[in-house]
Amino acid sequence: MIHFISKRLKHSLVLLLLASLVCFTLVVSAPGNVAVLIAELRGAVATPGYVEQVAEEIGLNKPLLMRYVDWLGDAVRGDFGISYRTGQDVSADLANRMSVTGTLIAGGAAIATLISLALGFLGAFWPYKLPDRVSRGLALLGASTPTFFVGALVIYGFSVTFQLLPSFGFDGPQSWILPWLTVSVLPAAVLSRVVRVGLEEAMASPFVLTAKSKGLSRTAILFRDALPNITPIFINALGTQVGLMTATAIIVEPLFAWQGLGDYFLAGVRFRDFMVVQACLLIFLTFFILVNLIVDLAVLLTDPRIRRQWS
Amino acid sequence: MKKLNPILARMSKMPKAALITIGLFVALGTFAPWLAPQDPSTQNLLEAGLGPNAAHWLGTDHLGRDTFSRLIIAANTSLVSVGSVLGIAMTIGIAMGTIAGYHRGWVDDLLMRVVDVGLSIPSLIIALAVIGIVGPGYWTMVLALALAWWPMSGRISRAVAVSIMSKPHIEALRVLGASPWRIYFNHLLPGTIGAVMVYATADAGVAALAVATLSFLGLGIQPPTPEWGQMLVDALPYLESDPRQVLLPGLALTAAVIGFNTLGESIALNRIPKPLTRRMLAARRIEVAGWAKEGIDAQ
Amino acid sequence: MHNEPLLSVNNLTVDLLTSKSAVRPVDGVSYSVRQGECLAIVGESGSGKTVMNFAPLGLMPTGVTTNLSGSVRFEGQELIGLSEPEIRRFRGKSIGFIFQDPMSALNPVRRIGRQIAEMAELHLNMSPRAAEARALDLVKLVGISDPSARLRQFPHELSGGLRQRTVIAIALAGEPKLLIADEPTTALDVTVQAQILRLLKDLQQRLNMAMVLITHDMGVVAGAADNIVVMYAARAAERGPVDKVLVNPRHPYTQGLINAIPRREDPIGSEFRGLPGVPPTLGAPINGCAFAPRCELAVAACTRSRPPMAPAVDSKVSVACPVVNQGKAAA
Repeated sequence: MIHFISKRLKHSLVLLLLASLVCFTLVVSAPGNVAVLIAELRGAVATPGYVEQVAEEIGLNKPLLMRYVDWLGDAVRGDFGISYRTGQDVSADLANRMSVTGTLIAGGAAIATLISLALGFLGAFWPYKLPDRVSRGLALLGASTPTFFVGALVIYGFSVTFQLLPSFGFDGPQSWILPWLTVSVLPAAVLSRVVRVGLEEAMASPFVLTAKSKGLSRTAILFRDALPNITPIFINALGTQVGLMTATAIIVEPLFAWQGLGDYFLAGVRFRDFMVVQACLLIFLTFFILVNLIVDLAVLLTDPRIRRQWS
Repeated sequence: MKKLNPILARMSKMPKAALITIGLFVALGTFAPWLAPQDPSTQNLLEAGLGPNAAHWLGTDHLGRDTFSRLIIAANTSLVSVGSVLGIAMTIGIAMGTIAGYHRGWVDDLLMRVVDVGLSIPSLIIALAVIGIVGPGYWTMVLALALAWWPMSGRISRAVAVSIMSKPHIEALRVLGASPWRIYFNHLLPGTIGAVMVYATADAGVAALAVATLSFLGLGIQPPTPEWGQMLVDALPYLESDPRQVLLPGLALTAAVIGFNTLGESIALNRIPKPLTRRMLAARRIEVAGWAKEGIDAQ
Repeated sequence: MHNEPLLSVNNLTVDLLTSKSAVRPVDGVSYSVRQGECLAIVGESGSGKTVMNFAPLGLMPTGVTTNLSGSVRFEGQELIGLSEPEIRRFRGKSIGFIFQDPMSALNPVRRIGRQIAEMAELHLNMSPRAAEARALDLVKLVGISDPSARLRQFPHELSGGLRQRTVIAIALAGEPKLLIADEPTTALDVTVQAQILRLLKDLQQRLNMAMVLITHDMGVVAGAADNIVVMYAARAAERGPVDKVLVNPRHPYTQGLINAIPRREDPIGSEFRGLPGVPPTLGAPINGCAFAPRCELAVAACTRSRPPMAPAVDSKVSVACPVVNQGKAAA
């Protein structure tokens, strides 16, 4: 167990290092002279002499490896440099924006879990009957509807037509509901299929015949025998979906005027603000690695077969 | 091609509605310039925001452009960009996958590790990162999405290539002295391309979503070229007064994606036997009813 | 009603309908089991012996529709025609089941203790704590060493023999009157087979249960069973007390089966005496005797109509063979 965790942690560290290397390389290889950009940002005329001075100042003339080490050291300490567009510290905004995106993803993941379990069980309860078809149809619809269209629809429905909920802003639980709904549709659709198919496969396993021979009802077998069998699969899929929700956040946050990381990243991409893109990308990649680590540990706790391999 | 038969058999069972949707999307996309009744970019502010009428079947947008024509041309935009993305992604993926499957060893390990990493990062984030560095534009979008998409076909083609390479007739060819080039181009590549094509088609819906999403964010297809996602974001400020202009492109895109996703679902293997449909059950009962029952062993 | 058998199966026919085909794996078979008795059902794989015992109790895999006719009475109560919730009340409580493969019969992610204890909770109305205690007793009863530690383990941590003992403990937990064991030793190591069989036989006698032992192993039959039904291609070929049938087999198929057992006096390296030919694949019922194509004694009458099961000279034994029965009539 401890062996597994330490091995898995080392693996994550290597991945983190790799991720940082990718982020660094991406910006270094970007076309255009960063020193010129910064010089212009400071409102000075970008004379060759001044540009050279800026380049010296921010360390552009150092060898690449040195620059990487400097940058990584700063990043670990939470210093992501200065935005080329606004001239402000990137890290100044980050903390607040991370909590906004965190709220979005946590709420979305919770709703997606609830909806997908409900839909999946509905389908597994009455396989190939009407409830199953409805659940399957909803899953297909949810997986096929573009997130931005979902957002537009919920705004139109809940906000414009019935004026029940605010359509923008990050201002208390009421304003969270619509973004949560929007961000949860796709993962709920995908996960409901995972639950439905997982339960069906589990219900076709030989041990279900044993459970039947015990005189257990179908409901009891679904919850006692099939559910623990799909838990590791579900956790795995949920992890993937939580990772994907960072991408959805990029669409949903601007739609609802939330100032989160996705919105920040998008603005960075729009204005080619490399430092912002770099910082967000590093945070996203770190988040994926972290989620994967947590998923692996959770699977370890829920699947005794894997637990045994490592004990 | 024998490998494809079971896949094609499963495809033949998919719902007719999905087939029709895909057919319609491809037909509209291909013949859009001839089908669109009006010029999609002609503005007429006097006719802005109209409802459906004889001249404009689905009304006009806030600039007075004919929505019906724009929807049709958008199908063409979508089809062409999705085709280019998947074409480039498949070319890279098949090349990488077959090389990995042919060589195995460290080449395989390295390429598949790259594929794993690529698959674990959402494609939208990869594409946006590339666009953020290079700057927006049509070809940036296509290349950025292809970069995000190739690991998928890379993994599939590697799996297919490995299974082809382990066939006895390839071993026989080697023993008979066939050159590596001949094995690769005459046997490995054709078999892999066929299988990957089918899976890639099923993935077209997700690719169409990605193109529309980037356009929605203003980083994909640029105005005035009509594209569903971009039409939707254009109409969003007028959501209250004219929701039709938001609904129509959204519905068109969703319908196309549903078609492709249904195709993908019908390709996916289902290992569990389905219960009999009522009609089949009745047929089986009739079959059984014909069997004699004799009270031969009454105790 | 003291004399009524615990389980009495009369002219049972089972049709299985799947999306691919319709088959009749059980075709007009009758037998009965009395309290405390052990009945062996012998036949090759695919002869319908498992379906015959599982289908009437609703234990068929998903995707299969079962059509039953005839009669299956347990303690005088007709099982055929009952709804699934009604049949479920018999499973576990009155009838316990043991499966062929203990590797897959246990839920891999649940502890052994829970899998046994839930039976006691369900059928004996025990509290979880009392059920755990009962599980411990059962694990001791089936001879598992270090019982309290085992209860906390998961199936993959046990050997095949221990897993089969666990399956037996589960089957016994509801205090059933009848135990149906489907090839309980087939999937086990040869060395473990004898132990498990002895355990089953011992438990059956100690708890005064009836047992239906499904097997293809004549050695198992001789050691454990009181009565025997020999099945061939969905039908009963011969039925009677074990000591009579094994010593003096009448049906040519039974004779072939017994003849195929290697004997001690066989010289080393002597040729294996198998039955010639292969059994028919299941499908629509066969006209006439299903064994006729492989039978040395077959006459024209054999393929014309299905031979009825009829008492032999020794009236305790019934045989479905026109030639044998004809001979009896002539004698």
